[in-house]
Amino acid sequence: MKAIHVSSPKRRFLSGLFGGRRGGRISVANPTSIVSIELMERTGVFFPDAHLDPDKMAALAAAGYEILGFDSIMPEFSVQQEAEALGCVVDWGSPTMMPDAKTHPAKEIDQLEIPENLTEKPSIRVVLRALELLRKIYGDHVALIGKVMGPWTLSYHMAGVQEFLLWTLTDPDKVRHFLGRLKEVTITFAKAQLQAGADVVVIADHATGDLVSPKTYQDFLLPVHQEINQRIGGPTILHICGNCSDRLRLFVEAGFDGYHFEWQIDTKMAVEVVNHEMSLIGNIDNKNVLFGGTPEDVYKQARYSIEAGVDILAPECAVPLQTPIANLKAIVEAAKEGYS
Amino acid sequence: MNEEEIKRFYKALKDTNLAAVEDLVKEYIAKQISPIAILNEGLIEAMGIIGQEFKACQIWVPEVLLAARNMNRGIEILKPELPKKNKLETKGKFVIGTVKGDIHDIGKNLVTMMIMGAGYQVIDLGTDVSKEQFLEVIAQEHPGIVGLSALLTTTMLEMKGIIKTIRQTYPHSPKVIIGGAPVTQRFADEIGADGYGEDAVRAVELANRLLASGERR
Repeated sequence: MKAIHVSSPKRRFLSGLFGGRRGGRISVANPTSIVSIELMERTGVFFPDAHLDPDKMAALAAAGYEILGFDSIMPEFSVQQEAEALGCVVDWGSPTMMPDAKTHPAKEIDQLEIPENLTEKPSIRVVLRALELLRKIYGDHVALIGKVMGPWTLSYHMAGVQEFLLWTLTDPDKVRHFLGRLKEVTITFAKAQLQAGADVVVIADHATGDLVSPKTYQDFLLPVHQEINQRIGGPTILHICGNCSDRLRLFVEAGFDGYHFEWQIDTKMAVEVVNHEMSLIGNIDNKNVLFGGTPEDVYKQARYSIEAGVDILAPECAVPLQTPIANLKAIVEAAKEGYS
Repeated sequence: MNEEEIKRFYKALKDTNLAAVEDLVKEYIAKQISPIAILNEGLIEAMGIIGQEFKACQIWVPEVLLAARNMNRGIEILKPELPKKNKLETKGKFVIGTVKGDIHDIGKNLVTMMIMGAGYQVIDLGTDVSKEQFLEVIAQEHPGIVGLSALLTTTMLEMKGIIKTIRQTYPHSPKVIIGGAPVTQRFADEIGADGYGEDAVRAVELANRLLASGERR
């Protein structure tokens, strides 16, 4: 007799994350933010409060499941939670503007200070507390996704993007030193999120396809990512923006369970190259489709990605704040039609 | 300058050691080569090759940042040697900024470096720049070209209002060109921009074309 599995959001997501048994339909999840102005209005919770208050963070994140019907809840909306804890001055923005680090306090190795009580810092604590709150309400049936910045992104925060990129040529030892020190922040925060209740943690590390070469990734980050994955222990998803078609195998080598990718990377090609050795999560186009298109456009792309063989359907990156709810819901509608 | 000599400048721009470009520029000054020739035929020509390599995806952003750093050092050494009346002779003034609500500046900075490298005087207004700020600088500086940058789909919409405002006061000049990850030629046409640069090199080519077209006033 054929086994029948109840297709709950959490089961669907976990099955997709590990490339396992297929239920009736593909999982829809969000490794990065799906908060929009419309969603803020519907919940009555707005940026910047949702970055700084755990109850508000949890309430806004839950809207992804409650209102949009996604299988996951992901409470970290910005990329700056660690930045403030590490000493950057952060402008937390507004309902229409994401937060931004205004200062980059470490131009030299000896200026790099990592607080011992990292997980007690307010901007870190808020995420952990939000995950704890969400676990209590949704932990039994919805996938909870955590998110941390990788050491490359943290180095941008600490040194400035241009300075850090230039060092890859002028001072590679300094780059290695920064990555070596800052990976401890990534590992500590990721472990704490898993302990707080996350089923998986997204590691966002912006060595993007448009900024650096595959060789730069291979030389500097690959060994660091391998160590991060070994030491975290729990499930991880890599998020790197841009066209990374030329380095997908390196991400497999790094040992991530999934890669969250953009529409610029052709889905069919990615599925073939990755060969089920890592799950693929994506890749609905934010700019032209989720933000600029209609629900029909979203439907078409979602069906293309499902048929090409992605493991979990998702927007390609944090969605623009003006994205219409109808377009986000259209992803779920396309998934509900099943596999083919 | 012959090909061999340009190649020496090209190598100096790629060198991680600043001394390479310093020594080379000093060597040419000592040889009594005209500083204008060192600038235009040496440094700017070599930067053009780097730009082409970037456009062809043979190199990435760190290499461009390095070349720009080295080039700026070369120009610094050259500056005291330039004849006084020639000191500020540039292809034209280029005002650039990332539009209101957007704080991303890597793309804008790459364009700034390439445009400077191509011989323009650049006035960089930074990020989160309002239409009022653009108008004020246009009134003061009378640039030939204004470049608007945005990384976000939402902030690129800001460009439309800025172009409209500029056109109300200045119907023909400056030319307004736009760029940034979400921007397309179609969008540029829709909002009435004079041009769209897909990357920093194409932005330079576009600026050259617009100013050469003789429509500048």
